[in-house]
Amino acid sequence: MRRNVLKRRFIRELKSEFGKYLVIFLFLIGAIGFVSGFLVASNSMLAAYEDGFAKYRVEDGNFELSSPAETELQTALIEEGVALYENFYLTEEVKETEAKLRIFKKRTEVNLICLMEGAFPEKADEIAIDRMHADNNRLSVGDSLTIGGKTLQISGLVAFSDYSALYEKASDMMFDATKFGVAVMTEEGFDGMGDTHLHYSYSWRYDTPAESDKKAGERADIVLEVLMGNGMRTGNVPVNFLPAMSNLAIQFVGDDMGRDNKMMAVFLYIIIAILAFVFAITISNTITKEALVIGTLRASGYTKGELIRHYLALPMTVVAVAAVLGNILGYTVFKEVAANMYYNSYSLPTFVTLWNADAFIRTTVIPVLLMFIINLVMLVRKLSLSPLRFIRRDLSKRKKGKAIRLNSKWSLMNRFRLRILLQNVPNYITILVGIFFANVLLLFGFVLPPLVDNYEKDITSNLIAKYQYVLKAPVETEEKSAEKYSVTALQTVKGKLKSEEVMVYGIAEGSAYVDAEFGDGVLISTAYAGKYGLSAGDEITLEESFGEQVHSFTVAGVYDYPAALAVFMEQEELNERFGFGEGYFNGYFSDRELVDFDERFLATKITADDLTKTTRQLKVSMGELMDLFLVFGVAVFLLVIYLLSKLIIEKNAQSISMTKILGYTDGEINKLYVWMTSAVVVISLIGTIPLVNYIMKYLFAAVLADYPGWLPYRVPFTAFVRMGALGILSYTVIILIQMKKVKGVSKSIALKSVE
Amino acid sequence: MFIEIKGIKRNFGEGESRVEVLKGIDLGIEKGEFCVLLGPSGSGKTTLLNILGGIDSADEGYIAIDGEKMADMNEKALTRYRRKHLGYVFQMYNLIPNLNIKENIETGAYLSENPLDVDELLKVLGLYEHRHKLPNQLSGGQQQRTAIGRAIVKNPDILLCDEPTGALDYKTSKEILKLIEEVNQKYGNTVVMVTHNDAIKHMADRVVKLHDGTIRENYKNDKKVSATELDW
Ligand SMILES: Nc1ncnc2c1ncn2[C@@H]1O[C@H](COP(=O)(O)OP(=O)(O)OP(=O)(O)O)[C@@H](O)[C@H]1O
Ligand SMILES: [Mg+2]
Repeated sequence: MRRNVLKRRFIRELKSEFGKYLVIFLFLIGAIGFVSGFLVASNSMLAAYEDGFAKYRVEDGNFELSSPAETELQTALIEEGVALYENFYLTEEVKETEAKLRIFKKRTEVNLICLMEGAFPEKADEIAIDRMHADNNRLSVGDSLTIGGKTLQISGLVAFSDYSALYEKASDMMFDATKFGVAVMTEEGFDGMGDTHLHYSYSWRYDTPAESDKKAGERADIVLEVLMGNGMRTGNVPVNFLPAMSNLAIQFVGDDMGRDNKMMAVFLYIIIAILAFVFAITISNTITKEALVIGTLRASGYTKGELIRHYLALPMTVVAVAAVLGNILGYTVFKEVAANMYYNSYSLPTFVTLWNADAFIRTTVIPVLLMFIINLVMLVRKLSLSPLRFIRRDLSKRKKGKAIRLNSKWSLMNRFRLRILLQNVPNYITILVGIFFANVLLLFGFVLPPLVDNYEKDITSNLIAKYQYVLKAPVETEEKSAEKYSVTALQTVKGKLKSEEVMVYGIAEGSAYVDAEFGDGVLISTAYAGKYGLSAGDEITLEESFGEQVHSFTVAGVYDYPAALAVFMEQEELNERFGFGEGYFNGYFSDRELVDFDERFLATKITADDLTKTTRQLKVSMGELMDLFLVFGVAVFLLVIYLLSKLIIEKNAQSISMTKILGYTDGEINKLYVWMTSAVVVISLIGTIPLVNYIMKYLFAAVLADYPGWLPYRVPFTAFVRMGALGILSYTVIILIQMKKVKGVSKSIALKSVE
Repeated sequence: MFIEIKGIKRNFGEGESRVEVLKGIDLGIEKGEFCVLLGPSGSGKTTLLNILGGIDSADEGYIAIDGEKMADMNEKALTRYRRKHLGYVFQMYNLIPNLNIKENIETGAYLSENPLDVDELLKVLGLYEHRHKLPNQLSGGQQQRTAIGRAIVKNPDILLCDEPTGALDYKTSKEILKLIEEVNQKYGNTVVMVTHNDAIKHMADRVVKLHDGTIRENYKNDKKVSATELDW
């Protein structure tokens, strides 16, 4: 009997508030579904990626020599428990895509390749290329590519186990899967390409896997020692040395996915917590509205527990059903969406969807618990009052006679508004938090694209030269605009931040390309200064890549070069300091392309394209995500404000009705109830921007600290203006809804009040 | 005639469930008159009062206040009418729960160009020491006094009261009635008060009895007594 009374009320409540529950329900399904899909996809992919280390026999490191490895080197390494595998590659430009392709021979022992589509090459004129690089360049199986004057046909699309992120160099901040790709050919085909662009690259594996990163580091040091020793004897020094643990092409995906997972879970918790507060406030209002009934029920023997269960039933049902549907959607639709997002950014092997307990806990157990606890706490607090207090409708926690006093010099309207504010503090705090969170999402959407664009523009307008060459040996050119320079690579000393590469340039006196006064010290690039917070007068210490030697410099100033971490000094000083000898040079700055020297002497050619690959890739992988952030941001914003502003008006329906009877116009009532909410919304919108900006700046720096290079956090003011404008614009819709609601409050509510 | 009520009819519902609540009411009330509206439950007292107050409308007939017909007024004009001329008191006090007593009265004063002094009125109402409290911290009688204060602070031409003592005990009821009487005498407002307490008719200038949607009795009370002398 009793139970029936409550059950009927449950259904009535659901019916009368159907719109509200539907919106919350859909939003919950969306959020839970999206996050669960994301976690399921990323965890499944992560598992495939991690299993891949053993399955595809991923290397423990690689190095490159200037000529093929001597047998003594091999034996010396075997003695240290290190197996060496030849992994030569060619760097070729593809005519059709203007992209750089790193071509390997078919592999059988190390860094095996996963076939994603088509077949591995069988004939000499066939090639299989990276699946993601192909996607980005709209290439598919059967297409022809012109490489090194030969026409090759794409036989298949593949994923390299040692290039899950298509990093070309360890010093790249980001990979660029559009302009750089990896490919595999038959041995015969590979040999037929000539050796002009051949790199003597080797991979190594330990006979027993290293137990920890620290151990791996120690063992890598031993490999380096052996290499350097061999180099001393034979002159065959390594030009590159990269243990797997610091190889971003191998490690980046794992780090990034772990980071994403954490972010997504936090994102979901925040949404759930906000919704839980919305629910709690709703219930709290219902309790106030039904105080008399509750008082009567309690007085007639209903227990507090029964009432708590009753009021919890609706929100918990909504969340539970949403969680179930969300999970179903997560494992089906959203999993695909998320997997595609990852396939857009990374070159991952195929994966099987795994049931994921962690995702279930994060997307279902924790949200349901969160909802339960927040609402339970509120209910227990609220329902602990005596039945009499309910009957008297006196639910305030405040002691009798202690109502807050307001200065009566203020106009009635202002005091009235302030009373509304005081009456709805939880609503307004939730609105504030909701807006804060929405602003974080909006900031992502609004700030990152212009930030990346600006950085790209910054780089292109601050190039040292249109063409920059690094040579293996000093060769002369006829080109008049070419200017010689010296360069050597050092690295920062590992401290709070990882050690990373810094190019040290020796600039010719009176240089036409680098306009600088060196004084007694060196200039550092804006990127270097930005990342390490350095300015004139500071001391910097750099170490040699494969050696013990350290070099200290005094910073004389900052040179406007945002593309990379770099140090500029006088050429002769550099030559002397690094023992290159007078007149030495190993590079050219040039306005025009140099065509008159043998490519075999060329180590690298750097153009704007190379320097902007970070931003290009960021745009590719960010694109959809940014739109998603915007949509979610606006949705959270609208949902929270809509629900809570609606509640405030509903809660005060009686008062609104009465003021109408008294003769207040709708306009005046709007000025009270809608005005206060609007003030809170606008203040929260604009007020939280600086805070959100500050947090973003901090987060941004924290995330970037893990990457080589530096992307300055500079947000154009217009981004904030647009952000605020979007917020206020979407809020006007809600103002209209509120005004309609105020208009709709019937005068008979006050007349019919049976208390 | 200050208030002129002519041929007022009011029906609720459609078809089968249609009820004629007011079946043609004719009534005139003079300025400054204290008029008591009596009748059994369901006879249409509240309905008539609400039409008079411009928060409900008649199906037929008209009401004119000082010669101005209310039927010609749109929603906006009715709001203006209520604002300018009316004070309203209900059985349920309908105070704004999050405003304190003084502020509740001020919501009435806000609407008037020449309101009474709020502090003085609070003293008259015996609410001065309670002025900073919230409505649910007061007794029923105190809340009703606040509601009366809110209605009369703007010194309205017409004060409509719908069973203002309906929820109060004998003693408190008499206090409230005395207060309304004082207001009527001091400021000369026209008072229309609905009640089903027959004893109250003795303090009125005019007594109107409704029965089943029609006026059964309508007479001037020559032997008017003070509210303090009432007994029931
Ligand atoms: N909105 C409405 N819809 C339908 N019927 C209504 C409505 N308002 C009033 N009635 C009906 O009109 C009749 C008169 O109601 P009214 O409230 O005017 O009576 P009353 O004389 O004030 O009674 P009481 O002394 O009990 O307050 C009642 O039968 C009531 O059911
Ligand atoms: Mg009535």
